[in-house]
Amino acid sequence: MVHAVQIEMLRQMLLIREFERALGARKDHGFQLLSAGEEAVAVGLCSALRQGDQLLTGGRSIGPALARGADPNRVMAELLGRATGTNRGKGGRGHLADQGSGFFGAHAVVGGNISIAGGVALATQMLNRDNIVVIMFGDGAFGAGALHETLNMSASMRLPLLFVCNNNQLSVSTPRTAALAPKLLSDIGRPFGMPSRTVDGMDLDTVVMAAHEAADYVRSKQGPAFLECISYRFSSHSTTARETRSAEELCSIRALCPIDKKMGEMMAAGLIDADTKIAIVESAKAVVRGALEFADASPFPDVREALTDVI
Amino acid sequence: MSSDTSPPVEKIFFREAIARAAREEMRKTPEIIILGQDVGYFGGSYREFDGLFEEFGATRVRDTPVAEASMVGFGVGAAAAGLRPLVCITYMDFLMLGFDPLINYGAKLRFKTGGQLTAPVIVKTTAGAKGQGVAHSQCIEAWLMGVPGLKVVAPATPADAYGLLKAAFRETGPVVYVDHKRLFPIAGPVPLAETIVPIGKAAVRRAGTDLTITSHSFMVRTALEAAKMLEGEGIDAEVIDLRSLAPLDMATISESVRKTGAILTLEEGQVTAGVGAEVVSRVMETIGAVPFSRIGALPAPVSSNPILEAACLPSTGRVVQAAMALQRKKARGVNHVVAETIE
Repeated sequence: MVHAVQIEMLRQMLLIREFERALGARKDHGFQLLSAGEEAVAVGLCSALRQGDQLLTGGRSIGPALARGADPNRVMAELLGRATGTNRGKGGRGHLADQGSGFFGAHAVVGGNISIAGGVALATQMLNRDNIVVIMFGDGAFGAGALHETLNMSASMRLPLLFVCNNNQLSVSTPRTAALAPKLLSDIGRPFGMPSRTVDGMDLDTVVMAAHEAADYVRSKQGPAFLECISYRFSSHSTTARETRSAEELCSIRALCPIDKKMGEMMAAGLIDADTKIAIVESAKAVVRGALEFADASPFPDVREALTDVI
Repeated sequence: MSSDTSPPVEKIFFREAIARAAREEMRKTPEIIILGQDVGYFGGSYREFDGLFEEFGATRVRDTPVAEASMVGFGVGAAAAGLRPLVCITYMDFLMLGFDPLINYGAKLRFKTGGQLTAPVIVKTTAGAKGQGVAHSQCIEAWLMGVPGLKVVAPATPADAYGLLKAAFRETGPVVYVDHKRLFPIAGPVPLAETIVPIGKAAVRRAGTDLTITSHSFMVRTALEAAKMLEGEGIDAEVIDLRSLAPLDMATISESVRKTGAILTLEEGQVTAGVGAEVVSRVMETIGAVPFSRIGALPAPVSSNPILEAACLPSTGRVVQAAMALQRKKARGVNHVVAETIE
């Protein structure tokens, strides 16, 4: 990978981490759905997407939205309920959408966006767009019937749809092992004839390579593909949900930090030095400070917005 | 030249009116596709898509697996991304499986994205009992009337089946189009010229002075039969075909009830929290208390046993009896519900 590209991806992961850290400290607009630990999945996946491609996700969507290129100012404004937000403050957590950056949108019903993405892929195919559609969902959505139906329909229609299961191994508090029978979740793509892989979602380079391979396949109009990225969520389900894991377990999970890993690798390879590292961290923090300032300076929606864009 | 100024019509079946509207729209708008079970070569379970597969091909008239939840999801998602899908759900009972993408996503999309996206999808589905039993007979359109972001129409005539479907293809958000099994083989006049029936406008099917009967879909026919029998009893009933359930045409309904002073609502679905409950409430909010009666299916599953099915569904006789009781209450000035009993 080109040096500048690696630095940019490192910067994106840091931006997501710092953005969520700052947002999580704000208790004035309800709970938030954070994704610390899962940054490599979002950034690695989006590195394989092009302009005009569409990304749909479940509710845990801050990382994917930022990695896709949504404006941090407007994302922060949305999550703090401001009229300048991506969705004019009306979607909020779990429903981010930003058409300008190819982030078709998050949808907070678990599994609810999967068949929607099938429809977006159908439109992409029928309108002869040379783009692909990606549906990212968690292991929580893996047990939903919509996945089976959409795997089947998209395979039989040979749709340009990439299934990405970001398997963070927890559905709120329920471990994936208690809820899902298959050993490898990606095995579900095989009977539908899809190239299907499971990769380490904590390693950026691995996700980048797997995402490019899967996206290239889908882009070649051969039909859908399935990619499972095994990741770890560092914090509880939401900023107001109880943490159910022990301190020891959390400690060992956090040792797998994809940002620390990538940074260490780049330093060991001499691709960045201590000064560059500080500069990247500081620039991410500056963007986040700017986003908070933008959001705080923005008005809440007028109450009349409760009745606009309804029908 | 004929002195008859009414526009020329053709007499076609209800199912043919649907096919004609879809055909005209598909010729003009390449983004229109049809998704559903047996909509292709088979021509639709009720032959309401006859000829479309032959004319437009398997890409635009697509057979799907039996997966209502994702059929609706695909339709809504494709609509949001630039197509104009019509999703056909063969039995309205199975639309329950598609409620999540329809209600949680499609109906909310414009609002939740701050106007970035809308989902102009038509979900066409078939209600009503025709010997198919407890899970293939239901009329659940009332469940959808209170969903912000959804429009719901239910035509009773071939002309409206045609004109309302044309209107639905012009909407910018989701529309649930409810047809009815017993209406498909019924013929009626449809204008030869392209005609659009606006959503949100009721039709007065029979003018009258003594009481207002509101209904929709197949039950409009029952209401008209009852009105004819009531003539013999000296009761002059006005019959309103709601046509659009969301939004309701309260102006037309209220004006009628203001004139007649009593309202009887008739539907094939359940009375509890039904279409009639909403109509009566809104009439009274508008013009104050009037004597009213609500008629619907009995509060029981609709059996495939013809004896039990007929017992469950509203009949002309029940409507006539309820209307006569309502007239007596009106004459006595009693403003409360007329309890209905089955004989």
